[in-house]
Amino acid sequence: MSSDSDDELSNLMQFLYTCPVGLVDFDASGTIGLMNPKAMQLMQVLTATPHVSNFFSAFERCGPELRNLAQGFTGRRGTVCENRRVFVREGIVDDASGATVLDCTMVKLSDERFIATLSDVSRQVAQERRLRQAEVWFSSLLDGADDFDVLSLDGAGRIDGVKAGLLEETGLPRDAVIGRTLDVFDCPDADGAASDVVGKIALARRDGWYLDEGWRRVKGGERRWCQRLIVVKSDRDRDSGERSLERAASGYVAVLRSTTRQTFDAAKLRRLLQTDHLTGACNRAHFFEVAERELRQGPYRGQVLSVVAMDVDHFKRINDTHGHAVGDEVLKAITAACQGVLDPADTFARLGGEEFVAMVATDLAGASAKAEALRARVAALEIPSAAGPLRVTASFGCATVSASVRSMAALLAEADRALYSAKHAGRNRVGIAEGVAAVA
Amino acid sequence: MSSHSAQAALIDGPDRFDFAEIRIAVLDAMTPDQVDALPYGVVGLASDGTTEIYNATESKLAGIPSSIVLGWSYFAETAQCMNNFMVAQRFEDEPEIDEVIDYVLTLRMRPTPVRLRLIKAGSCARRYLLIQR
Repeated sequence: MSSDSDDELSNLMQFLYTCPVGLVDFDASGTIGLMNPKAMQLMQVLTATPHVSNFFSAFERCGPELRNLAQGFTGRRGTVCENRRVFVREGIVDDASGATVLDCTMVKLSDERFIATLSDVSRQVAQERRLRQAEVWFSSLLDGADDFDVLSLDGAGRIDGVKAGLLEETGLPRDAVIGRTLDVFDCPDADGAASDVVGKIALARRDGWYLDEGWRRVKGGERRWCQRLIVVKSDRDRDSGERSLERAASGYVAVLRSTTRQTFDAAKLRRLLQTDHLTGACNRAHFFEVAERELRQGPYRGQVLSVVAMDVDHFKRINDTHGHAVGDEVLKAITAACQGVLDPADTFARLGGEEFVAMVATDLAGASAKAEALRARVAALEIPSAAGPLRVTASFGCATVSASVRSMAALLAEADRALYSAKHAGRNRVGIAEGVAAVA
Repeated sequence: MSSHSAQAALIDGPDRFDFAEIRIAVLDAMTPDQVDALPYGVVGLASDGTTEIYNATESKLAGIPSSIVLGWSYFAETAQCMNNFMVAQRFEDEPEIDEVIDYVLTLRMRPTPVRLRLIKAGSCARRYLLIQR
């Protein structure tokens, strides 16, 4: 070999070794043939081990759709997905290399060969999320700049400040408003359910903001359709970004804006941001956002917090036997069933594949009772398929926050251990994390 | 002097230069020829992570000449797959290490199972990473 081509080869090697983007080459089954160090580094975060040999297996937990996308791509070659975001479980690693969101582009070269690029976009995603929150603000404020009212609420959600204009408009005396909750302005339909204003405040505290629409009263017994935005007031420096929203809520600002258009569907926007598009459960990113916040704030509110991890039994067999389309229907049916069992304040999320989790504000006994109710409901499901009604079961693991288990990663790991003991014990049952009472 | 005779000249016991046995003081006292002659990869890093030693075996395994690697940050430029809590962070956090771990490197872009020996001692400013395929 000439020395020119030696030089060329070592330049090429250096290019690949130093490349700041992960590059992976794998076959249709996901077995990795080539990868550069950056790709290895990013994928090690997924598996939490140095051993990465299969692309799809590494993404099984947090990006199972990558396998489906590659296998479902019918063209002989071409781009399978472009800049697809994969939300990696938070808390796997503590060091700076612990990416939380990966961006993946996958290209099919032949039936037996794929290449993918991976890059860490955690920072961009966090920034986008902050921008989106700001956008909600602006669209609400600027859109009807000449027709909105602002109220101030205390930490418990009681009105502690109101402008004269709103009092005049509604015909309510100041005394009838101060110290009351926001539903003092509500004017629901006769058959409408009672407004859960406490729940809405709780959601605002959880997410930093809450947006809804509804009928509000105006003077003379009339009513008007209004949008309402509730935002956490934070005394902290706004520059610290999202974190400032997560800290203690010293109070809230509520913006009421009347509108004749109902095209701006607040609920739809929220769904888009926070749900798993297949099942309608919370998505992984939203779950961790909520969970970490609850963990930080729960103790101050004297709240206990537990998680119920759920894994559909033999799901791979369902996919293999009946196809992915039926597998998807099963996941949807299970989600709907579980959401029916859980309380609205519980958070039910799909973490990836056939893995789900419910976060519940109750102790271990309460969580295991909920898990048992979920188990029974799932086992009773009959899901229609071409081969007749399908029956499925799921296994569950419960864990609760304690002095030794305080991070969401640790809590989920506890619940996972309990879940696997349930699997080992024969599936279709509930496992309880042991040893949680050991710490005072 | 050929590298083989250099290695032979140093041997005074059967295991002294083994991957698992060699001591940091011996590594640090070796001439470049002697380090090159070792049958496993040897990477020596300054306390700031700059690559100071990159032996011939490692250069051959990785497919890059030492001239590209020496003088630059090893974990940031060449071995990003070890720039994590399992390897690079340990050199930062632990005052002394001598441990062998199973690992996978992307030598010539092929995922390759290796054994890594991480060595750091209070007596020696330079940290060593030994790589056995």
